[in-house]
Amino acid sequence: MVPGLQSLALPAIDCEFFQPSAYLKIDKKGKVTIYVGKQESGQGVDTALPMIVAEELEIDFKDVHTEIAPYGTLKEGEHDTGGSQSVMTMYTQLRNAGAIAKSMLITAAANVWKINASSCAADNGEVVNTNSNKRIKYGALVCQAALLPIPKEVTLKNPKDFKLIGKSTSRSNLNELLTGKTKYGIDIKVEGMVYAVAERCPVLDGVLVSVDDTAAKKVPGVIKVVSYKGTGAPMHVRAGVAVIATNIWSAMKAKKMLNITWDEGKKNKETTESLFKTFEERSRLKPQLEVFKKGDATKFSAKNEISASYSEPFLAHATMEPVNFIASVKGDSCELWGGLQLPDWAVNTVSKECGFKKENIKVNLALMGGAFGRRLHFEFAIEAVRIAQQTDKPVKLIWERTDDIRFQPYRPATYHVLKAGIDDNNNLAAWQHHVLGTPVAYMTDGPGAKDAAEMDGADAGFCYDVPNINTGYTGVDFNINRGWLRSVDICVNSFPVESFIDEVALKLKKDPLQFRLSMLENKPDFKTGDAPGAAIQSPARVAGVLKLAAEKIGWTEKRKPNHFIGLATHSFIFAKSYAAHAIEIELLGPKKFRITRVVAAIDCGLVINPDGMLNQMEGGFAFALTQTLKGEITVSDSRVVEDGFFSYELLRYDEMPPIEIYMVENKEEPGGVGEVGLPTVAPALCNALAAAGYRPRSLPIRKEGFTWV
Amino acid sequence: MPNFTLNINNKDYSVEAESDMPLLWVLRDILDLTGTKYGCGVASCGACTVIMDGNAVFSCQRPVGACVNKKIITIEGLSEDGNHPVQKAWQKARVPQCGYCQPGQMMRAAAMLGKNKKPTDETISSEMSNHLCRCGTYHRIKEAIHIAIEEINK
Ligand code: FES
Ligand code: FES
Repeated sequence: MVPGLQSLALPAIDCEFFQPSAYLKIDKKGKVTIYVGKQESGQGVDTALPMIVAEELEIDFKDVHTEIAPYGTLKEGEHDTGGSQSVMTMYTQLRNAGAIAKSMLITAAANVWKINASSCAADNGEVVNTNSNKRIKYGALVCQAALLPIPKEVTLKNPKDFKLIGKSTSRSNLNELLTGKTKYGIDIKVEGMVYAVAERCPVLDGVLVSVDDTAAKKVPGVIKVVSYKGTGAPMHVRAGVAVIATNIWSAMKAKKMLNITWDEGKKNKETTESLFKTFEERSRLKPQLEVFKKGDATKFSAKNEISASYSEPFLAHATMEPVNFIASVKGDSCELWGGLQLPDWAVNTVSKECGFKKENIKVNLALMGGAFGRRLHFEFAIEAVRIAQQTDKPVKLIWERTDDIRFQPYRPATYHVLKAGIDDNNNLAAWQHHVLGTPVAYMTDGPGAKDAAEMDGADAGFCYDVPNINTGYTGVDFNINRGWLRSVDICVNSFPVESFIDEVALKLKKDPLQFRLSMLENKPDFKTGDAPGAAIQSPARVAGVLKLAAEKIGWTEKRKPNHFIGLATHSFIFAKSYAAHAIEIELLGPKKFRITRVVAAIDCGLVINPDGMLNQMEGGFAFALTQTLKGEITVSDSRVVEDGFFSYELLRYDEMPPIEIYMVENKEEPGGVGEVGLPTVAPALCNALAAAGYRPRSLPIRKEGFTWV
Repeated sequence: MPNFTLNINNKDYSVEAESDMPLLWVLRDILDLTGTKYGCGVASCGACTVIMDGNAVFSCQRPVGACVNKKIITIEGLSEDGNHPVQKAWQKARVPQCGYCQPGQMMRAAAMLGKNKKPTDETISSEMSNHLCRCGTYHRIKEAIHIAIEEINK
């Protein structure tokens, strides 16, 4: 029974709206606005999250308006968006928010009708008197509902009664997206705004010596040229010189005319070759950090030992919307506009680095044209504030594409050494995996940071049942900034793990599917640590997606000549979802291939918006295929060599193979879908190439001489 | 500063700008037609695509001085209320993820279909490969173009 049932006298009250929580508002006219607390960047939270509220609220989704939840209206940390966690973490809370509002509207109607709330039901934006079948629209009840106490407990719907959750639903703002009306951060205009672009020190942590801006200042439209200092951890803002102008074109032109002298510091000679050489040398020593140990794989005396090493490059996020941010400084306060995945951390850091009290920083969150982790970082916000501190006008800072590719927080480069010990019965009995990387934590927390090991996917959650396991990590410092990229270390580690499992299977002359299943199917779910929140690994679900992918691609069927299939599976463990890929290629010549079929299988528990899940799996595949085939950032003299889409190439339309997606249906709680579609793409494709006789051990495979049509 | 008359979405606009300013920035910053997007500024991504005299062009590569006496269509003017066959097809195939590249993609598709109601797969592929979508919606763009082709040939 719902509190607040006491019969209220119903005065002719007036109000504007009813807002029982930060998540939704219903106005007198019945307009329902649902506030999206997670930051939208293409992953579809602006639809999936409101669907959860709307389900419990009993409202037709086409009558729902969605808006970004204004910064500060939610609890600390709740605006944070990353790790495919949005649906998982908000599911119950948003159901509650919808159910609370519904229960108050029902109570309000019951009071009007002077009947018991149990004789009322909510249906399609109205409360129904189940005795008389009379109906009142929500809009007509908002002023009464607004006076009621908020119930402490409500009953949630039985999932079998869901009408909206589980139905493919179009994006809530699809029409705006298709008519050019959508405003991303880069489209925002603030009264009196001026524009800026910046030249940054090519070497991280360098400082400005001098700037000659005579020519730049002569460009019509230029207002002034300012310089700003860099910062250290966590964001590693580079020292910069910014041109402020009345329009962005003048600023861009003038930037080319700046004559700047930098002091690059001593770490200005590093290269990616030197880094991989260090990795290789260091890999012969014991790992710096022991990450997971079971039995002792190092002491296992193997009849056969198989070993291999793999490498993966730095990568850039390269969101289609170039990085941009607006800041306005007035006295001791500042106002910010733009996309941020972690706005609380950004506010804290801006406060510290730029000298504003936290309460004097106002944030206006904006829609992002892609993020993929790029806007977990916010060095651009600090830059914008530093530039705005030197003018009395709001400033929109835009990173040109060249800046975006050259000055990123890059996905770390890694080198992996794997060793397998085979026992007398020809079984895999020992597994060693040493990851050498340039950890993100060295950037965010300083060199030598503890817990730097980036081993998700290869640590205690390693899903295969092998009696002896040793995994370890070694961090190597390197002077370019690093950050988190979509699918993070799970993606990084799945490539060597799923490739090497395949190598071992082939070496042992075992079927790669059956070999994997034999080490998964009988292993019970297990906890990956002692902490209360430690992730659960489910080898059975890892096996489930693999079997589905293998079945759909016809693993056991006869193949056409020169066609080969590769498999890979994994659990995106911290987002409670599982995916596998089966990829078929046709070999057209030595190291030359065409992808003929792509099958993906996913198990992400209850799916809120199946179409959104499919879109993430399709897009995730394209993202991962880019980095499998050609994605690579290289460094020379501590500078990133690539500077745009001609040198940092992304997958294009003519390279996208058809993809089929299948789902394991079950009653598990919802998992995340934004990242689970990536990690098995590279190993599945590489395993197909290996089946054809060519085993790639470093990404992108283009570097190893592979070509494709 | 020089003054230019531009015909955009069937309306004449008078704009003051340096003559080398790319149409992209005139649209976005002077006329507030922000549906046309900046992605690279160097003809590598297609985000800035508009239709000029029936052809898809990169607006980042067209100085405003070279845009007078041309008929320019941007995403805002592709249709009255999102009912161009390309927009309807995009809606049906639920193409966008972040959506940022989509105005450019749709303008390219609309220009292509405006000239050729039955493009071959090779034509579609070579036209659409002028565009990048980091979210990876290519699969659905293909589907949407085929929906649009069917619709306009009905
Ligand atoms: S912005 Fe014009 S092609 Fe990229
Ligand atoms: S939909 Fe995001 S870049 Fe294409």
